[in-house]
Amino acid sequence: MDIISQLQEQVNTVAALSFNIFGTLQRDAPPVRLSPNYPEPPMNANGTEETTNLAEQPKTMSSELVKAAKEFDVLVAAIPISDGDEEAQLKRIMELQAENDAIGQELQKQLDAAEKELKQVQELFSQATDNCLNLKRPD
Amino acid sequence: MATATYPPPPPYYKLYKDYLQNPNSAPEPPPPIRGTYVLYGANYTTDDVLPTLEEQGVRQLYPKGPNVDFKKELRSLNRELQLHLLELADVLVERPSQYARRVEDISLIFKNLHHLLNSMRPHQARATLIHILELQIQRRKQAVEDIKRRREEAQKLLQEALGTLDGQ
Repeated sequence: MDIISQLQEQVNTVAALSFNIFGTLQRDAPPVRLSPNYPEPPMNANGTEETTNLAEQPKTMSSELVKAAKEFDVLVAAIPISDGDEEAQLKRIMELQAENDAIGQELQKQLDAAEKELKQVQELFSQATDNCLNLKRPD
Repeated sequence: MATATYPPPPPYYKLYKDYLQNPNSAPEPPPPIRGTYVLYGANYTTDDVLPTLEEQGVRQLYPKGPNVDFKKELRSLNRELQLHLLELADVLVERPSQYARRVEDISLIFKNLHHLLNSMRPHQARATLIHILELQIQRRKQAVEDIKRRREEAQKLLQEALGTLDGQ
């Protein structure tokens, strides 16, 4: 895939990662204590699995997000863009077109000459074979 | 159950009855369309140009101008994006009701990123064209060299054959 499409894919990946991260964290976050007067919300004994997941989820997700952003930077550095702006590129295209035309004409000339020579050789060869066949007398 | 048959082909083929005898007796193919045209009720334009962000009602974050330094702007937009995501996380912790403004900012940054990437496409197209032209020139030069070489070889062979025949 070309570099710009890769960059576009990376941007979309970062976007997808970020809204998945925020959505997951919001969905799984424990309730917030509003005031010291209200008692703590009852913690259901769901085991320590959920709490460990809740603790390490932000870490893994944030490291993934940072990794994706770094990959974007790497891709940006890999863009083979030269400083040439539009006019420089168009000028180069005109030059290349002129050179292409010139060498196309040269190629055509060579081709014509070669075809002419081929025809000459073929004609001479047929003459020679005719002479050979005519001079050969069946014994 | 009666089914409708397909519509008949357009009747223009009758105009080309004598094409083999007289190619000028048949109408020319229609010229390419310029400007806008209507297709299945929708308007299309032949001038494919990327609309600027202002035309889409989106604020442009990177500086306008004839030459945009794509790499620098992409990198700075990426940094802005990360900062805004962190800000969003902060806002959600402390003032959850003010998320809307932050989310809007983040989507603005994404739109700018995509617009910047899209505006690199014409540059890429021209660079591809330059590359193709260079390849073609190289191939043509190679072909010229090949033909020259073969002609010289053929000449040499003919001279040798002439020499052999004369020697006989």
